[in-house]
Amino acid sequence: MFNKSALLRISSLLSQPASKNFHLSSTCNEIRKLARLRVVDNSEIGKRAMAEGKPPRCIHVYNKTEVGLIGDRVLVAIKGEKKKAILVGLKQNQKPKVPKFDSNNIVLIDDSGTPLGTRIHVPIPTILRTILKERTHAKGADYTKLLGIASKFV
Amino acid sequence: MALALTTTFTKSTVKFLEERLLLLTISCGPVRNKSKQNPKPRLRNPTWFTQKHRVSSDDNVTLENKEFLKEVVQDRYFNVDNEISKDLASNVIWRPGLQRTGVMARKIGIYPMWLKTGKKISTTLLQVLDNHVIKYYPPEDYDPQVKRVGRIYNRKGCLLLGAEGADPSTFTREYCGLFKDSGVIPKRHLARFFVSPDAVLPAGTLISALHFQAGNYVDVRGLTIDRGFQGVMKRHGFKGMPASHGVTKTHRRGGNIGGGGEKGRVWPGTKMPGHMGNRYRILRGLKIWRINTKYNVLFVSGQNIPGATNSIVYIYDTKLPARKPAEPLPFPTYIGTGEELSENIFDKEIHEFSEPTIVYSDKN
Amino acid sequence: MLSTTPRLALSRQLKNFRRFATATTTPAEQPVKDKSDTRKNVLEYRQIYPEFLPDPKIEFRNPIREKLERSDMIARRANVDIPEFYVGSVLAVTSADRHSPGKLHRFVGICIKREGCGLRANFLLRNVIDHQGVEILYDMYDPTIKGIEVLRLEKRLDNELLYLRDALPEYSTFDSNMEIEILPEGAPVPVNEIKVKLKPRPWLDRWERKNLKGVQDLELPQRFYDRAKELETPWEKYDLMKQYMRTVPEEEQVEIFSEVQTHLHRSGAAQKLKRKRTFVKPTKLA
Repeated sequence: MFNKSALLRISSLLSQPASKNFHLSSTCNEIRKLARLRVVDNSEIGKRAMAEGKPPRCIHVYNKTEVGLIGDRVLVAIKGEKKKAILVGLKQNQKPKVPKFDSNNIVLIDDSGTPLGTRIHVPIPTILRTILKERTHAKGADYTKLLGIASKFV
Repeated sequence: MALALTTTFTKSTVKFLEERLLLLTISCGPVRNKSKQNPKPRLRNPTWFTQKHRVSSDDNVTLENKEFLKEVVQDRYFNVDNEISKDLASNVIWRPGLQRTGVMARKIGIYPMWLKTGKKISTTLLQVLDNHVIKYYPPEDYDPQVKRVGRIYNRKGCLLLGAEGADPSTFTREYCGLFKDSGVIPKRHLARFFVSPDAVLPAGTLISALHFQAGNYVDVRGLTIDRGFQGVMKRHGFKGMPASHGVTKTHRRGGNIGGGGEKGRVWPGTKMPGHMGNRYRILRGLKIWRINTKYNVLFVSGQNIPGATNSIVYIYDTKLPARKPAEPLPFPTYIGTGEELSENIFDKEIHEFSEPTIVYSDKN
Repeated sequence: MLSTTPRLALSRQLKNFRRFATATTTPAEQPVKDKSDTRKNVLEYRQIYPEFLPDPKIEFRNPIREKLERSDMIARRANVDIPEFYVGSVLAVTSADRHSPGKLHRFVGICIKREGCGLRANFLLRNVIDHQGVEILYDMYDPTIKGIEVLRLEKRLDNELLYLRDALPEYSTFDSNMEIEILPEGAPVPVNEIKVKLKPRPWLDRWERKNLKGVQDLELPQRFYDRAKELETPWEKYDLMKQYMRTVPEEEQVEIFSEVQTHLHRSGAAQKLKRKRTFVKPTKLA
């Protein structure tokens, strides 16, 4: 049935973490429930989840349409825990002049909007400055703290 | 003379009888609220509906005679200066109650423009054709197809407009006769527009794109693209049914169309498959972003104006109360003051293409 | 496993026609000299300014709309220098951005797609920054674009480089402080014949069905190539009617570009184009 190279490839796949090379679902460019995301900050839990090849899954999007757009808040399941996060880069096609990324990036935050990590190691879009400022209200969570730990804007 | 008298007599009697009969039909109907009920429309065409195109026949006209015919057309319609627009200026100033005439235009395409804020908008280009006034029917003369019962306030007259002049030899004699009084060349398209009696225009007046102003709002009416007999998914945007999981022969069907019992029938207005398109629709409240005076083009917001590219649309001043103009409109139409106009008139929010690049400052 | 070349040849499929690519087949007989000159000019101009050709779809065409659109494009080009570039060229776009503190935004990347005609023309830039692939779509006639610099003027073997998304990141990594590489005077636009190595599947598209010339052997099982062979449409290149419907007639192209040429010369944009190519190059690679 299998030739030699195919067997080799399968064995090489098995040696790698399960989610690294093949997906069970088709690429979902929309952030909906159960979409796999990529943590791009250096928080302990995020780093461990990504290193183990168990990326967090979106389990809720905090908006009316239930499709996450740039700057939206999501609830993720990560390492058996529930954490809140902000979408800082999407795979979906964007409007002109808004960057589109190769992965769906999130930054983990707590309820007050403070990021769990201390640095974001990928570029984030400049439009987030405006979006997060608009989302921040005087008494609620302050999402603009996330902008402070960004290393680069694009 | 006698013949003419008899014809007028018969006409008036027929009209009289018709009205009588109409009243009769209203009074004997077994309906409640009959005073509010409008009578059924009589199936009758307006007076300008005549046979339009001549049956083309090879008349063995020599080349010389063809030239001669062209000359006749030229002498008759183009080498005459019929300056009618001089006594156009009226003392009446436009106010919200007054209704001006609309125009016929051609939808010529869609392209984007940018606002001064950097936002992209898409605009539809409507080329206002050579609209000439053909005839005016005062309110008392105009005999509408659907008669309204009760007193009518602010009665409107009817203005017949023609657009796109064409070779008269392609039209029938009756059709060309419609244009006789106005002195304009026979037109391909005719349309009626209801106007306040104050907004009447003399026959032969030309209406240009400057009838409208940049920054104001218009309603656009057009014949939608004919899509033929379509199913519910395309016609009404139904979701259809699953492709698999045991579904057979019902993938694009509408499903249930009503309940049983007391409501055990198909309710009027139920969305079902049927003919889609090829009907007149009006899109209201479109902003005029720019006017090109050289080609008589209006740049109107939106990309969903009914009709295909290169089809005819009708443009009216908007009826939406919130979008009425603040300044008085040119009434009854724009009269050239003689001074040179710039080729493009922009709305003040638009970034003109000849302007330098947008720069944001810290304030905005 | 089969050897590479015959398999690729099997998978070869008809490319989608590009508007200007179709008309490059010149007829055998040569017209009079100055006529051939204008034709040569046209051939050059439709490479440099492809967006000046209208959408060839007959139901969308209207001469007045096209004229107005062209005049607006020329008016915009008088304010910003939109240079000659191709898919595969490395560009730097500076645009006004209300979200940045300096209100300016600069992005360097390789052009992987260019499409749209008239004022709708746009291009897609791609770069890998901090190991993260980033793409930005720009409208060519957007008035917030302050300038477009061509850092490296070259062509690639394909009309679209969307496969760079599935390629190894080094193929789309460009330094944001890259210097302009200037071609010697009169040199033709070089074609970069680099063959890109793709990552193993899963991919965003079935690249083996796209008849790509700029990729290395895809290393797929034979059944993928068999399926690609089944789906290819080699008869399309003989379908003259299809080609005709997808092209603007050449007489109209001559008309359009002669108009464009006179206007651009007046505004000085064409001279700028010439000047840029005359300097001698320093060699600095990213």
